[in-house]
Amino acid sequence: MADCNQCLLRDTFWLNQLAVGGQGTVAWVGGETNVRRRLLEMGFCNGTCVEMLRRAPLGDPIEFRLRGYCVSLRDEQARHIRVMTA
Amino acid sequence: MPACCQQPPLRVLPKAPLTVALAGNPNSGKTTIFNALTGLRQKVANYPGVTVEKKSGRCRLPDGRFVEIVDLPGAYSLVSQSPDERVTMEVLRGLRAETPAPDVIVIVVDASNLQRNLYLLSQVIELGKPVVLALNMIDVARRRGMDLSAEKLQQELGVAVVSIIGHKRRGIAELKEAIVHAKKPVVPDWLANSRHLHQADSDPMRTDIESRYHWIEQVTARSRGDGQAQNAGSSPSLSERVDAILIHKIWGLLIFAVVMSLLFVTIFWLAQPIMQWIQDGVQWTGGRVAAHLPRGPMRDLATDGVIAGVGAVVAFVPQIALLFIFLAILEDSGYLARAAFLMDRLLRRVGLHGKSFIPLLSSFACAIPGIMATRTIENRKDRLATILIAPFMGCSARLPVYTLLIGTFFAARGAGVQSGIMLAVYAAGVLAAAGTAWCFRRTLLKGSTDAFIMELPTYKLPQVSEIARQVWVNTSEFLTKAGTVIFCMSVLLWALTYYGASQKYLGHLEASGAPANVVAAERMNHSLAGQFGHFIEPGLRPLGFDWKMGVGLVSAFAAREVFVSTMGIVYSTGDVEDGHGADLSKAMLADRYPDGRRVWNGPVAVSLLVWFVLAMQCMSTLAVVRRETGGWGWPIFMLIYMNALAYVVCLFIFQVSRWVG
Repeated sequence: MADCNQCLLRDTFWLNQLAVGGQGTVAWVGGETNVRRRLLEMGFCNGTCVEMLRRAPLGDPIEFRLRGYCVSLRDEQARHIRVMTA
Repeated sequence: MPACCQQPPLRVLPKAPLTVALAGNPNSGKTTIFNALTGLRQKVANYPGVTVEKKSGRCRLPDGRFVEIVDLPGAYSLVSQSPDERVTMEVLRGLRAETPAPDVIVIVVDASNLQRNLYLLSQVIELGKPVVLALNMIDVARRRGMDLSAEKLQQELGVAVVSIIGHKRRGIAELKEAIVHAKKPVVPDWLANSRHLHQADSDPMRTDIESRYHWIEQVTARSRGDGQAQNAGSSPSLSERVDAILIHKIWGLLIFAVVMSLLFVTIFWLAQPIMQWIQDGVQWTGGRVAAHLPRGPMRDLATDGVIAGVGAVVAFVPQIALLFIFLAILEDSGYLARAAFLMDRLLRRVGLHGKSFIPLLSSFACAIPGIMATRTIENRKDRLATILIAPFMGCSARLPVYTLLIGTFFAARGAGVQSGIMLAVYAAGVLAAAGTAWCFRRTLLKGSTDAFIMELPTYKLPQVSEIARQVWVNTSEFLTKAGTVIFCMSVLLWALTYYGASQKYLGHLEASGAPANVVAAERMNHSLAGQFGHFIEPGLRPLGFDWKMGVGLVSAFAAREVFVSTMGIVYSTGDVEDGHGADLSKAMLADRYPDGRRVWNGPVAVSLLVWFVLAMQCMSTLAVVRRETGGWGWPIFMLIYMNALAYVVCLFIFQVSRWVG
């Protein structure tokens, strides 16, 4: 399913690679089923614009804004999401 | 009575009592609306089988009917697996035997975060129950420049929509009216058809979730009011500007340190005088009761057993109440999530969650409020891991023991060495906590630390009434649920140190004019606890402990500092608090085994210090863990693993130090 999309995702990068203030559009969400469902349910759907707000002072987790609210993900979860430059 | 017959009855109960379920995302302001609807007519219980709080209350509708309102735990979705969400799903579907299936579902949504909040609604309208949408925090949404029309939203969704400002109690009457007239929603075509559409899909989960969000995007786009349509959240909100400071690299950590110090000082120092008053009050009551009873076992049972037992429970109240004031402010304001955000990296190294920080910090004052504070951790495994290691944090009850031992055996080494040892003892506790947490997360509580997908809610001004309510609920619940167990155990422990010695022998001693402290020492030495101390002495010997320390350890189950007063009784040196500490030190140093060896020396003291760092010997902690985990399994496990660990480490330390020294 999701893996066959990989070839179409050449111009994409992982969500944790966004710089502060950088924005991206969700292109693909992976991860173990439960984590993936939760990420999708929290609004990380294809085409959703996500802005990286800041990293915690110790470097992790990362705060993002999407759909008008803020959520924090650990680096490892942000690595389940691929985004395109908006 | 003719007057009665002429008039129709004022109110007939038209149907069976209605049940209204209140559901919504975490941070949607659901509880504020629940409180506004039910006032003080609330009940807090537990859903059987899970440690999820069940809150319900009664509310009178405009048509005169009383309805039962159930405040469901916060949920982002009806599919996900957190215990909270599962309970919400089961109640809404009528799958829980103890909670009647709701007749009306009220979905509370945060208007300033509409899209993600409406996701839950998209699942609830499928249930085919009458639904009302409570559009909460409409004022915040407007302030943030969102242009939203409740009428249009109602049209688009096909569900009654009521605008509410929960904390100002605005819109509550309209909400009650809407509950009376609630209708079943019309399931949108795309949703009704989605089931068989998804069957052919290779990724049905994604398609399902994305089609819901697609619908939500359309609905919200068409629900803009007549004003200039604005892109929601395009300008940084006040909350985000506050965040720029509160989770700033330097300022954020600094403010965090200040807030946490305040929290610690509050429960560590501020609670002390209040606890002292309570203790004085208990003693005074005991004295008054004693004055009216004849001397003898019955009087001792009343004063030292029952009244002191009540005192043991009530003594926790100041710390618990103060902690929950703090927690309520932090949680309601939204700072708690930021604190977790700041600390997560540090705690994740040992497999804990950012939210474990405050419970562990509180445990330095006392593990009881600390363990109660783990309620803020949603993930069950994170929470259990935090509960299991919280007692390693050096609580204030250990301090008198540490002071006695360090003061007695390292007095000659100077203040520098003494404070160094004290610091090492505390550090040992933290290390033990980190190590065991790391182990548990890899074995017993293995599994998803992945659940760290944490919303950072917008900052809000906490409501005084909400804080008072939370403090009241949590404190009274502690008194009724954990308090009864603590009381029973404390009376039992008293009985163990009181009974066992022959009354004849003690009476004879008293009659022969022996001083009271000698009688007390004899009573203790021959008590059941004393006999138990003798019984376990062979097991304690390899750690360097004799039977007197054994008695002390048994009595320390009431509270660790009782060890000191028990030693005072055993050595009949009088009360340490009354300035007999030096006498006790002298007596301990002078004590010798029959073969002339010293009972107490450096290695014994170190071994005992380590025992107090590692061992689980606090019945109040066990009672609270039982309460928080919903059974005796975890507290018994805790008792076994901590004491086994303490035994092995003390054995190692004592034997090695004997070989070396």
